[in-house]
Amino acid sequence: MLLIISSIVVACGAVGVSVYFAVKNHKAKTALETREREVSRKMYELAILKELGDRIGYSLDVQQIIDIIVNSLHQFIEYSAVSYMLLEPEKVMFKMHLERSVHRRFVNDIRDRMLGSLGALLDREFDRKDVKEILSGAIIIEELEEPVRSFFNIPLVIDEKVVGVLTVADTKTGLYKEEEMTILYKIIQQASKAVTSLQGVVKTEQAKVSAMVESMEDGVVMTDADYRILVINPAAKRVIGQEKKTGVTIFDFIDNLGGKMDIRGRLEESVKLKKTFVSERFGIKERFYQSFVFPVKTMSALNADEVLGGVVIFHDVTREVELERVRDDFTSMIVHELRTPLSGIQKASELLKRPSKKASPSPKQYIDIIYQNSSGMLDLVNDILDAAKLQAGKFEISREPADIEEVMSNRMDFFNISAVDKKIRLMMSVDKNIPKGVAFDVQRVKQVLNNLISNALKFTAEGGTVSVSAFGHETGAQINDETRKAGVQLPEPLPEEKFASLPESLVVTVTDTGVGIATEHMPELFSKFKQIGNKTLIPNIKGTGLGLAIARGIIEGHGGIIGLVSKVDAGSAFYFSLPLAKLEIK
Amino acid sequence: MKKILVLDDDPIFIESIRASLDSARYDFVSAGNGAEGLKIMEKAKPDLILLDIMMPTMDGMEFLKQVNKKYGKGATPIFITSNLSSIEKVSDGVSLGIRGYFVKSNESLQGIIGTIDRVFQK
Repeated sequence: MLLIISSIVVACGAVGVSVYFAVKNHKAKTALETREREVSRKMYELAILKELGDRIGYSLDVQQIIDIIVNSLHQFIEYSAVSYMLLEPEKVMFKMHLERSVHRRFVNDIRDRMLGSLGALLDREFDRKDVKEILSGAIIIEELEEPVRSFFNIPLVIDEKVVGVLTVADTKTGLYKEEEMTILYKIIQQASKAVTSLQGVVKTEQAKVSAMVESMEDGVVMTDADYRILVINPAAKRVIGQEKKTGVTIFDFIDNLGGKMDIRGRLEESVKLKKTFVSERFGIKERFYQSFVFPVKTMSALNADEVLGGVVIFHDVTREVELERVRDDFTSMIVHELRTPLSGIQKASELLKRPSKKASPSPKQYIDIIYQNSSGMLDLVNDILDAAKLQAGKFEISREPADIEEVMSNRMDFFNISAVDKKIRLMMSVDKNIPKGVAFDVQRVKQVLNNLISNALKFTAEGGTVSVSAFGHETGAQINDETRKAGVQLPEPLPEEKFASLPESLVVTVTDTGVGIATEHMPELFSKFKQIGNKTLIPNIKGTGLGLAIARGIIEGHGGIIGLVSKVDAGSAFYFSLPLAKLEIK
Repeated sequence: MKKILVLDDDPIFIESIRASLDSARYDFVSAGNGAEGLKIMEKAKPDLILLDIMMPTMDGMEFLKQVNKKYGKGATPIFITSNLSSIEKVSDGVSLGIRGYFVKSNESLQGIIGTIDRVFQK
């Protein structure tokens, strides 16, 4: 009996315990379920944010991002339809996904409500006509007369601007609590935050890239796979002479390139065959280009190597072409100048070997010809060697104390014969206050004087005057005051700014009453490869044009300056300075 | 008698051609630039021209163009005798109807005279 009672007690106890556990269990279960739901929501939130993160990584397309959210929404919210509206430049895009079939009125109702809230958010009126509608999911069934009973809107905000609204709706009542709305709101907010900050980064990067492309000297054109121009910089427009035009198309290039480069064909090869192309040089509108065509591929891992379009670069090689031309001209001119005396020598010797029956020049005259031509050629060869030394930076000046007056008189004697021949007055003046004992390279300065005086004689017509003058220049003094005091006549005043920073110097001028030189030609004069272009301007003048380049090398080697002032039809004055250098004791 | 016109600013070249041409067969005229050459052409009507390129006032290429305009391309056999040897100049000359191109320093007087003789043998 006792056993029975005790077993009942035990049983009762067991029941009590089990009830206790059952109640406790139930509580735990509820808590667990809540937590599970929370966890799954968190998981969903994380999953959707991760998916967004992955996909936003290469896309800033708002619609695409909303689509991602919308497509995964059913995992935690129940709805008949989810829809969004996005502002487009001309239209309002309305996309609705039906989870269950509804009546047409249901769709219209949502559309109108959304349009209304969009209008309220943006404070502007929207017309139904502007709505571009896309329906997907379940079909419309007219028999289902269920109205919208649950509904909530979330504004889509990117970079502090409303771009649209997202709406969840159902035919059942009281579906959406604050909890669901908060979560969705949070997701949208996070997504828009991500897009906003990404867009910010992209904007800065784009600004950098477009500033770079805009300011590039090379023309850059990028097209999509259908050859529509996506990017074009001013330099590219300049290539085809369409600087002012907006909306340049590939056809503008085809028309203006005039068959010089098959831009369409090359882009096609690039887009379809992923081929890179490098063109030969070609000229358009007086400029020369080399063009490069590359395929533009995507960089993301997802669809790597997909060709988005092509890019064409027009590299301006006009300067190179010009330099090459100048160099070629120079080379052929040197060859010509070397051959001329040589062929003279050759022809004269041929005639000497095979005496003509005619009363033509005597053997002595032929020998004179040979002598003159070989001396001329020797001078030329020396000039070429000097020019080469100058270029290699191996031009040496050896200074010794010398008397400029003596050097000038010596050159006067040398040129007097040819001046008399040409009926030109050759004069010389040396200021009495001239500094004595200036150290300079006598042979080299003679070479400079030779060049300047022979040029002056060449460019001066019969009856003209060539005068060579020397005077001193004090530090900081006005050079034109000094020329006046020294009684030196010039066609134009000397440039004060060039003399302003000179130390105490000796200045020599060679003035002629010749044709003069136009200002635009002056800079070319002292450069190695240039001789004034229009030969007919200066009749009967030939030469390599090396002389002045060498003269400049000599004077600059002394630490002096060389230049000219000129007036067309009045004459020119070349000047150079030699600083009063103390002779260094070696 | 055939008349030869030599246009060259190098008097030595003119003299060497004059000295080499057989005066029994050829008359000889010369000038130092293209402009003078055009004047001579009007009066002298040469049968053959030796033409330098680099000459002052009017160069050889301009002379060729003027002659072509006035007398028709290739009406008078013209040989360029120059010390320039750029391919461009040769091809420019050929398109202007020249008969031949001599680089003076590469050619003997005998060679030039021989070519002139052959033009008139045909």
